[in-house]
Amino acid sequence: MARFFILFVVILALLFAVELTPPVQSAIVVPWTQALVRISARLITLFDPHVAVFGDILQSTANGFALSVRAGCNGVEATLILSAAMLAFPTSWKRRVIGILAGVTVVQLLNIVRVISLFYLGQWNMKAFDWAHFYLWPALIMLDVLIVWMIWIRSLPRAPSATGPPAGSGDAGAQQATVS
Amino acid sequence: MTAGVPSLKKFVLYTFLWLPPCSAAWYFSAQYHTAAAGELARVLVNQFTNGIVSTVERSGLDLVFVTTIRVRHESGQTALLTPEVNPLVYTYGLALFLALMLAERAKWWKILVGAAVLLPFQSWSIAFEVLAQCMQLGTDVSAQAGVSGWRLLAVDVGYQLGTFIFPSLLPVVLWAVFSRLFSESVLRSQVRDTQTTPPDPSGY
Repeated sequence: MARFFILFVVILALLFAVELTPPVQSAIVVPWTQALVRISARLITLFDPHVAVFGDILQSTANGFALSVRAGCNGVEATLILSAAMLAFPTSWKRRVIGILAGVTVVQLLNIVRVISLFYLGQWNMKAFDWAHFYLWPALIMLDVLIVWMIWIRSLPRAPSATGPPAGSGDAGAQQATVS
Repeated sequence: MTAGVPSLKKFVLYTFLWLPPCSAAWYFSAQYHTAAAGELARVLVNQFTNGIVSTVERSGLDLVFVTTIRVRHESGQTALLTPEVNPLVYTYGLALFLALMLAERAKWWKILVGAAVLLPFQSWSIAFEVLAQCMQLGTDVSAQAGVSGWRLLAVDVGYQLGTFIFPSLLPVVLWAVFSRLFSESVLRSQVRDTQTTPPDPSGY
């Protein structure tokens, strides 16, 4: 377990160092952030035509409220944390790649929900916007990362264990143990 | 199977149920725990610089760091620099940590130890926001603070860590360290995995 944590920290540090370099920022992070804004706008237009996009800014054409998606709000950090946790875990590369692709998709989908919810919260009440923006959504996104990672490690292929209970019995036991 | 360890589904459900009351407790006790984080941040900033923060005051829940740095205003007058920080931005992880621990019915001493371990990292985040606010004002301010060379780069890295990593990630990491659910999930997966893949020479 200690080895997992150490590897996780090392990989995360490397990923962040790479992410902060200007070439990666201009080639991946900025285009992704702008794509995130465009995807959010496209989804919003399904039920609300009063939206416009300017780079990383999402603006309501009805009341002028504008939202700028910046570092920390584009889901990149959460993506890197999840990827580092999956890369640090001892399993095959195939399972890591599948886990990262699926996990990143889930995290980014939730991040789109975050952007859209903040767009409307900001138009409704700035206190609610600040609360959701600064405190609630960062916690929810990290919780999402944790849940995705836990599901991933629990979904790794089962095999009869020489040292533990038969596959499946642990889950059943877990279900029983939590009835309160 | 260890008795008392919840299933993942129940753990997630309980975490979401605990999050609102934990957030309320965190918010309404903010003036106390942010005061502690602010005081520790003052010490950190002063250790990193040549002692620029003379005192920490409050403006609502915000922390105002009164420094000895003199800045010249456009009007020609000189004033003391007083960076202001919203500490809640860096301490919300306490509510998340409490919710995770309570969802697993962790022992109270683990919750207390975890909350205490979070404190210096929250102070780190606050301290590096203060430093970042100061350094972005230019070389005159950084010279007065005694920050140059590698320390300027360290402020940048420390700010990134304190803003994007520590507040959200550390509560989860601390929970993982204390959690039996986490340990059990990891160990079970490792047992399964060694049955289906060749042994890892790295020693896992």
